[in-house]
Amino acid sequence: MEFTLLGAVFIAVVPLYLVLRWEAARSNAATCTRNLWDIALGAVVTGVFIGRLAAMIGDGVNPITHPGDILIFRGGVATGPAAVAAIATAAWFGRGVLWPVLDGLSAAALAGLAGWHSGCIVRDSCLGTPSDLPWAFAQEGSTVARHPVEIYAAVLLLAAALLLVWWRTERILAPGIPMGIALAVASGARLFTEPMRPSLGSGPVWWNVAGIAVGLAAIAWSQRRSRAQPASETK
Amino acid sequence: MRRIIVVVALSLLVAACGGTSVDVSAVPELPEVTAEEIASQLIASEDPVVVNVWASWCVPCRSEAPLLARAAEQDGVSFIGINVRDDQNGARGFIAEFFPDAPIDHYFDRSGDIPVALGATRGVPITLFYAPGGELIRIHSGVIDERTLALQIDEIKAR
Repeated sequence: MEFTLLGAVFIAVVPLYLVLRWEAARSNAATCTRNLWDIALGAVVTGVFIGRLAAMIGDGVNPITHPGDILIFRGGVATGPAAVAAIATAAWFGRGVLWPVLDGLSAAALAGLAGWHSGCIVRDSCLGTPSDLPWAFAQEGSTVARHPVEIYAAVLLLAAALLLVWWRTERILAPGIPMGIALAVASGARLFTEPMRPSLGSGPVWWNVAGIAVGLAAIAWSQRRSRAQPASETK
Repeated sequence: MRRIIVVVALSLLVAACGGTSVDVSAVPELPEVTAEEIASQLIASEDPVVVNVWASWCVPCRSEAPLLARAAEQDGVSFIGINVRDDQNGARGFIAEFFPDAPIDHYFDRSGDIPVALGATRGVPITLFYAPGGELIRIHSGVIDERTLALQIDEIKAR
């Protein structure tokens, strides 16, 4: 049993929940914390499940003939399909109040991702490619200092989450902008750290670029829409 | 809606019953070795070596097998597979399904004692990483992911 993976999941879920609670008390969240929490958990579970199926199919393992393999998440979860499925699930649960739900989840999702990456500490998987930088360190018994690449990603995502929380507390952003920012930042953090991750040739770079493009397009579209409509209609 | 659910359920059932037929005739029987012979092979190796302990009945082993097959294609590192507590037919079927062309030397260890002699546990899957000359660098228990495998291969290549 991969208990270290469960530990990383726990570290991801805690900041997600805390940010949702914090935002519910202080920002313009349109739905209550409990609903957003339920939606977030549903989106995470669906995203991981679809991502795992996509990884299995990509590896040539038939999920119908080998259903038990689906549970071996450490065998691989395809990031792109997982992200699309998670966002689609959140959008489905939030239909009717789409933007408030997606915007309400945006900062919490970034915090949750930051927690997931920092979970490398319990998984013993923080290190990346070799580096001479002063903060690079080596794994036990090794002389090769390496980028703590997962910590980089965690710091970037946590900073973005806190900035978004602060921004949403200080002013009312047009619907869709927080979601666009979160998508662009999450994809950008992954794209930035990808060259420092050790891999056997599979980098989901295309998905990262697509995520940034969709996030920026959502921000631009939301801004145009809010300018075209009176403030009372966009709220 | 109910019809759609029934059709989808029946389709999944038929697909699942179809199974995956694997031709094992092209896969020779795995040679039986002792822990001493494996240790000698590791000491004699000029390349770093990745030793993967697996069994055909082990679901997590199936999950990591495609990754190991891909990793074994790269230059400068050798791969050894040790099949434990299994039978020849099961082992050959697993190799035919996941490692048909992968440059991995597989060995048969019915007792499952070799991994223990190498310093690991009796569980599967286990992946051991050796520097050239047979120095054990790391033991990874459980399913290995791409990042960990790539990192440890990089480590043993740097030795």
